Amino acid sequence: MKKKNIAFLILCGLFAALLSACLFESDDSALSSWLGDQGLPDSYKVQTLSINEMLPVSAQAYAGYTVFSGVERPLLGVQAGLTHDLVFDIAFKDSAFLAEMAGSDSAAAFIALYVLKPFYTSTTFPADSLPYEETLDLKIEWKLDKGKDKKFIDSIAEIPDSTWRSELKDWTADNSADTTYDLSIGTKDSLVKIDLPSALVEDLKQAGVACRLQLRVSAPQAKRVYRFYGTATGYVPVFRMKSVSDTDYKSVPPFRMSEVITYNDTCDGCLLLHGGVLDSLVVEYPSDKILEALSDFYGDAFPFDEGDGYDVRQAVVLAQFTFPRDDSEGISELGLPIQVVVGSFIDSLGTEIRRMEEYKLNRKLVVESGHPNMVFFDGDSLSLQVTYGMRDLINQANSGRNFKMMVRLGYPVLQAKDSTYQNYVTEDGDSSYVFFSHFDYARYDFGTTFSKPATLKLWLATKRGGEE
Amino acid sequence: MKRFLGFVVLVAVMAQASMIGLDALGEEQVVGGSAAAAGRGFAGGAKTGEAEGLSVVNPARMAFDTKVVFNLNFLMDLYNIQRHGEDFFTKTISMPSFNLSFPMGDFGAIGVSLWQHYSSLVREEVSDSASAADAKIEYNGSVYEIVPTYAVRLPYLRNISLGASMHIVMGSMHRSLTLGPNKDAVAEDDVWATNNADITDYVEGSWEIEHHPGYYTGSVQYRGRQSSFYFSYTTGYTLLNKLEYNFRFSEIDTLIPSKIDRHIEIPAMLATGVNYRLAKRHNVMMDLQWRVWDEDIENVAHSYDMRSITKTQNDFVASVGYQRDGSGLYYDPLWDRVAYRAGAWYKNWYIEDVYEVGGSIGANFPLGRKGIALDLALQGGKRFSESEGNWDEVFLGIRLGLMGIGSWGQSRR
Repeated sequence: MKKKNIAFLILCGLFAALLSACLFESDDSALSSWLGDQGLPDSYKVQTLSINEMLPVSAQAYAGYTVFSGVERPLLGVQAGLTHDLVFDIAFKDSAFLAEMAGSDSAAAFIALYVLKPFYTSTTFPADSLPYEETLDLKIEWKLDKGKDKKFIDSIAEIPDSTWRSELKDWTADNSADTTYDLSIGTKDSLVKIDLPSALVEDLKQAGVACRLQLRVSAPQAKRVYRFYGTATGYVPVFRMKSVSDTDYKSVPPFRMSEVITYNDTCDGCLLLHGGVLDSLVVEYPSDKILEALSDFYGDAFPFDEGDGYDVRQAVVLAQFTFPRDDSEGISELGLPIQVVVGSFIDSLGTEIRRMEEYKLNRKLVVESGHPNMVFFDGDSLSLQVTYGMRDLINQANSGRNFKMMVRLGYPVLQAKDSTYQNYVTEDGDSSYVFFSHFDYARYDFGTTFSKPATLKLWLATKRGGEE
Repeated sequence: MKRFLGFVVLVAVMAQASMIGLDALGEEQVVGGSAAAAGRGFAGGAKTGEAEGLSVVNPARMAFDTKVVFNLNFLMDLYNIQRHGEDFFTKTISMPSFNLSFPMGDFGAIGVSLWQHYSSLVREEVSDSASAADAKIEYNGSVYEIVPTYAVRLPYLRNISLGASMHIVMGSMHRSLTLGPNKDAVAEDDVWATNNADITDYVEGSWEIEHHPGYYTGSVQYRGRQSSFYFSYTTGYTLLNKLEYNFRFSEIDTLIPSKIDRHIEIPAMLATGVNYRLAKRHNVMMDLQWRVWDEDIENVAHSYDMRSITKTQNDFVASVGYQRDGSGLYYDPLWDRVAYRAGAWYKNWYIEDVYEVGGSIGANFPLGRKGIALDLALQGGKRFSESEGNWDEVFLGIRLGLMGIGSWGQSRR
C-alpha cells in the first residue's frame, strides 16, 4: 500500500508539472502592463549627462619602483631619461679553484647574458630597428665579501630577495672599473659576453675559500635599453671565471638578479609618466561641479543626506572623461600607441582603496578611429572610463570626498583599431595580438591632459519614480 | 522517503503564488491551508472527530481527538490574472502547512504546526525587443509560523475544551527586479555604453515579531450531540521585516546597501464556528473569522514608481461547508469509507477593495488499514480587485493532504 501511495504522489507531481509546462504560458505584453500597474518599469531608462570644464584641484606624478626583480626580462641601458643597471648576486665556495686562480697570470672572468630574442625577433617589433650596434661604455662596480665555509654561502641564500633589493637602493661599491663592450644585436645574435675588468679578477684572487660577489653593470651612456633573459628563465645569465687555461673554469649562475633604475628625467611644469616602471599619476577633481550638474539635471538636492546618506536614487552605468591630449613632449621607445590604464579611489568599509577600472568598448568608434584611451596615436583627445569611481562618488557624495583617479601607462597596442581589446585566436587558428607583451619604456607628459578643461560624461540609470 | 523529499524540493523550486499584494504580505493561507478544511470551504473549525487534527484557528478542537494525526498539505493553483482585457497565466505549487497532533488522554493533547501563513512568490520574465521591455521579476517571501499547541478538556465539563497556541514567526523575504536598459533617450553615438548593463534592484530580509517571541491564540470549544461550536481569539502583533536594499550591477558590484525596517501592525483576530450534525455522519458547518485593520501596510517598494503603502480593509472569511464522514469500518466498501466534502467561502482580503469568492469539493480517501489517508480538495473561484495595481485573478486549484493516523500511546478501552 505504501508503494501505491508513493506512486500516487509521483503521479500527482507529474500531473502538476505537465499542467504547468504545457498549458499555460505567460503573455509578455500583459505582464508588461501588470508591471506598469505595480509602478515598475519593464526596463530602466538611461539618461546621459555631460559636465564640461572639469579642472582638477591637484595632479601629482609618483615615480614607480627603482628596483625590479631580474627574474624575467631585465634591462640594461638608458631610455627616456631612465638608466637601467643590472646587479647580480653571486656566491660560491671552491678553495681549490680560487687557489689555482690566485696563482695564475691568465686568470679572467666574464658575465654572459642572453638577449631576449622573442622581443627582438617578434614579427611585431619594428622591422627596421635591427641590427642594434653600439660600443657600450660600461661601468662595472662590485662588492666582495669573503667567507670561510658552506655556512657563509647558506647565510647568503637565506637573505630574502626583497631584503636584497631594498639594500640595493643604497648601493655603495667596494671597487669599480670602466670597460667597453661592442654590442651587436641582430636577428642571429643571442649572447652578450662582457669581459670583467682585471681589477675585479685580482680581488677574486684574494677571496680565499668562499666569497660573495655583488656585481653591478651600468651603461649610463647607452643609446637605448637592451632586454635580456632573467634568472627564472631557460637562459640564465652566467658568471664564469678562468684560472689557468680555457679549460680550467668555473661557472656560477647568479643567486639572483635585479634591475636598478635611476631617474635622470626632469621637465619643468610637466606631469611625467614613464612606461614599464609603474610610474603613476594621481589626479583629483572636485565633486561640487558634478553634484551641481546632477542637481540641475534631476532637480533634486545633491549630495543626498537623508537616512544614512547613501544615495541610491540613481546609479552610474558608465562614466567617461575626455581630456585634451598633446603627445609632443613624449618619447616613445617602440613607436607604438600605448594604452592608458585607469584606477579610481573608492571607499571600502571606510578605507580608501584603489580599484582598477574596466574598459567598455565603443566598437563602432574603435573600428573607425581606434581606441580612445591611447597616447602616441592620431587625434588630440584621450578618453578614460571611470565608472566605478564615479558610481562610488555619487553613491557616497555625502562624505564630501573629491573624485580621485590614478593613471598609468600600460602595454603598447599593436592593433589600435581592433575592437576586441585582447589577444585572441582567429577562426583559422592564428593568434592575433592586440597588445605587445613587452612594455614600452616611454615617457609621456600629461601636463596638457590634466591642466586643461576636460569633459565628464555620465550614463545614468535612475530608480526614481514619476519620470515616465 | 527519499522520493518524498524529492517532491518537497520540487515544490520549493516551483513556488509561486497569487500576485495580489506581493509588495505587502502576499497571499494568506487561512486555516493553515489544510486540504481537509479547504474541501469544505475552509469551514469546520468546530467539527470534532477522532482524528480531525490540529487547527491553527481553533486549538481547543484537538482535545477531542483520540488519534495521533500527522498531515502534510500541498497546494497547486493555476491563475488567470486579468485586467483591461489583458490576461496572463501563472501557477503555484506550495506546501502551506504541516501538522502533528498527539492526544494524551486525560492530559489533553499537544501538537505543532509549521504554517506558511503569508507568501509572496512570483518569478516572471518579460522580454520584447520591439518595446525594449527586458525585465525579470522575482518575489520570494514567506512568513512561516511554528505553532506549538496544547488543548485539554475540562475536568467535569467534559464537553468543553480549552486550547492555546503560540505562533513563533520566522521567514525571509527577497525581491529581485532585474531590468535591461531602455535606450530611447540615448543618442545613437552613446548607446554603446549601455551594452550588457542589466541592473538589479535587490532586496533581502527576514521576518520576526517585534519585541516578542510570538503571538498567541486561545480558544474554547463546546462539543454537543448535534451542534458544536467554538470561539477563538488571536492576539494582535507587529511584524518586523528587516530589509536590505541593494542596487546592483552584479553580485559583487553594487551601491552601498540601504537598510529599511518595515513594521506591519497585524490586528487581533476573532473567529467562531459551528458544526451541526444533521443525521448520522452528515454535518453542516459555518465559520467566520475577522480582523479589524487600523493601519496600512508599508510596502517593500522603494524603487521606481512603486506604491509605498498597501491600504488595508477589515478582513474576514465567511465560509459554509458540508461533510459526510466516512465509515470507520475497514470492511465497508471504499465509497462508504470515503468522507465527502463541499463548501464555499467569501473572503475579504486584508488589502483594500480585494475580495474573493470560492467554492470547493473534497474527499478523504482512506488508504488501507494502517491509518493512512489522503485528503483531496478541488477549489476554484475568483479574486476581485478594485484596488490600484492589483488585477483580478481566477484561480483553480488542487490541494492534497497526506495524512497519517495512528493510536500511539493510547490504551484499548
